[in-house]
Amino acid sequence: MSSLAEYFHTDWAALTLNDWIGLVTTVVVFILMVVAYIYVFHPANREHLEKRKHIPLDDDRFETEDKR
Amino acid sequence: METTEKYHFDVVRWFTIMAVVYLVIGTLVGVIIASQLAWPALNFDIAELTFGRLRPLHTNAVIFAFGGCALMATAFYTVQRTCGVPLWSNKLAWFTFFLWNFIIICAVITLPLGITQGKEYAELEWPFDILIAVAWLAYSFNFAMTIAKRKTSHIYVSNWFFLGMMVMITYLHVVNSLAIPVSLFNSYSIFSGVQDAMIQWWWGHNAVGYYLTAGFLGIMYYFVPKQANRPVFSYRLSVIHFWALMFGYVWLGAHHLQYTALPDWTGSLGAAVSLAMIIPSWGGAVNGMMTLSGAWDKLRTDYVLRFLVMSLAFYAMSTFEGPVMSSKTVNALSHYTDWGIGHVHSGALGWVVMVAAGALYHMIMKLWNTEMYSDKLVNLHFWMATIGAVIYIVAMWVSGIMQGLMWRDYDEFGTLSYTFAESVAAMHPYYVMRAVGGLIFWGGAAVMMYNMFMTIRMASATRGVGAPARA
Repeated sequence: MSSLAEYFHTDWAALTLNDWIGLVTTVVVFILMVVAYIYVFHPANREHLEKRKHIPLDDDRFETEDKR
Repeated sequence: METTEKYHFDVVRWFTIMAVVYLVIGTLVGVIIASQLAWPALNFDIAELTFGRLRPLHTNAVIFAFGGCALMATAFYTVQRTCGVPLWSNKLAWFTFFLWNFIIICAVITLPLGITQGKEYAELEWPFDILIAVAWLAYSFNFAMTIAKRKTSHIYVSNWFFLGMMVMITYLHVVNSLAIPVSLFNSYSIFSGVQDAMIQWWWGHNAVGYYLTAGFLGIMYYFVPKQANRPVFSYRLSVIHFWALMFGYVWLGAHHLQYTALPDWTGSLGAAVSLAMIIPSWGGAVNGMMTLSGAWDKLRTDYVLRFLVMSLAFYAMSTFEGPVMSSKTVNALSHYTDWGIGHVHSGALGWVVMVAAGALYHMIMKLWNTEMYSDKLVNLHFWMATIGAVIYIVAMWVSGIMQGLMWRDYDEFGTLSYTFAESVAAMHPYYVMRAVGGLIFWGGAAVMMYNMFMTIRMASATRGVGAPARA
């Protein structure tokens, strides 16, 4: 067995409940990150997301509305 | 007094004032303990004034007193403005203010008396841990409920960062503080041995990751666009920055425990994720800086903006340095040396204080509806902070690398070349240099406090009755 294969060898039978919870959480988080990346950078969502960046510059409008 | 404010800003004003006051006090204690390391006679043989007692006072004062008040001021300010509604409960906000400051006073009394749990950045004993949890939950609940009743459909990204910090710090603080009390001021952690070390650094690094990074990124994402009067460069990048930071940071703690009794793979994992975190961190830093794209000329005249942009440069630098230091090869040299102190201060002085100072100046002008008393003093503060931080960091870099090299140098017989005392003696000039850098940085903070009080006085005199105007 090469040293690399040895390094990545996993004794699946020895995994405890905690190990499985950690493993599943890690894989789910990784998948969620991939989903988030695809969603955010998909060209179809560009305008929908980028229009939000003006919120801090527009926040005076609430006071204007209030003064009416 | 003018009482027609749409938002609950009085409590924000007081958090703002106290943040600046605690910055001056916390950094002054830092200068004192830095001087004690250079000139040990400054201990005066008084137990309560020794380095071991004052060091946790310094860290608690700058992180929780200054940092906490800055985070509470900015979060309560921005959530009202971006959601278009007043705080869910003004009374709860005032409760948070008084309880938080009461805890700070308790820390000032108990830490010099040597009452401590001995856990880094979590020194306060169990009764204060419970009070911290209560104050933090009151702050978080009020913030979340304000978002819940917002007028806007979208929750702006700065609020996501604040909310992420609140959730994670609650979780981290409660788990790390689990202890069995044996008396009013004494308790023992429920964790032991290597688990205790693991939990401690899971908390320790995430106090940096969520409190001093995510929270202050919330500040950055509101105040950089606001001060520059330009929208953030890429909103999409800010969304990825948020989720990558939230999911990634929590893994890093084990890199503080390389070459210890911790299983080897945990340190490797911590280092691997640390290196991966360069990507979102630099994405965020570039996002902040590129907000000024096409408007860099503003930096010539806008001294407040200088603080915010300089903070991003330090953020980028320290989020590159940290992962490099976490790798086992570099860690073998850097760990336990002053390089670690230099690294944490490049983040603390360069990133945290600079971005907070920019936000606090912005809020002072908005909350009291006036210009600063003196723009020249803002500029003076900027240069004192920058030069002081650079002197401090460079001193610790040189001292730390020299220390690491001296400790591991050996001759042809396998005998260590230097005694520990020789390495201490070699560090003395750099300890003096660090104290000087810290003193300059503290001077800048004192200038800020003077400028703030004069601004408030000027604004009050203009209105005649000491009343702040609508922000």
